[in-house]
Amino acid sequence: MKKLVVILAFMLNGCALYDAYMQTGFDNQEYMLVTQIRTDAQSYKKQCGNGLLAASNAQAISAKTDLFEKYSELIPRNENGISASKSLNAIAQGLAIAYVDPKGEPSATFCKLKYSSIENAAYVIQHVVGNRPR
Amino acid sequence: MNLDELQQQLVELVNSGDPVFANAAQQVNELTEQAKAGQLSSAELKEILEDMQRQLSIINEMSQLEFKEKLNTVLNGLITIAAVV
Repeated sequence: MKKLVVILAFMLNGCALYDAYMQTGFDNQEYMLVTQIRTDAQSYKKQCGNGLLAASNAQAISAKTDLFEKYSELIPRNENGISASKSLNAIAQGLAIAYVDPKGEPSATFCKLKYSSIENAAYVIQHVVGNRPR
Repeated sequence: MNLDELQQQLVELVNSGDPVFANAAQQVNELTEQAKAGQLSSAELKEILEDMQRQLSIINEMSQLEFKEKLNTVLNGLITIAAVV
């Protein structure tokens, strides 16, 4: 068995082994937040045709992705998670900014595509966050 | 390179045989057609295409994390077995 551990250590560089061994464990708050973002995106996508609701929904989801980014950013040994949460937040902020743009309200097609992007991105993150070691 | 030439390259990607590239290229092609039909402004199209890049970045980050998770499981399994043997 010790030989197997030594072989594995030689196959992978030290940093990869250290990163893997010391990686951040499962965090139920982080998992809950990303699940809420995904669920909200699914729900809000159906309300893109309603101008009043769509604007407030965009602000609500961007506040939640902002919270997710801030929650992730100080978790130690979480570089991949931090980058992903930043990208997810950037997608949602783009939607919120579009609704406060004085040039005019964004199209319903744009709104639906934005929520699809948020939903897909949150799903990818949720899948990996959910598999973190417990 | 003009829009028609870019769309021709997308068609080549759609027919590349790689399901991931084909799906992404199909989506971009549909978005471009929606923009041409006036359903999306050029600013909206730009933002949605940038979202696709952000999603690719998320997939890349999460793939790396998934690899670390699998390695972590293997390491912990080996440590447990090594402690017993």
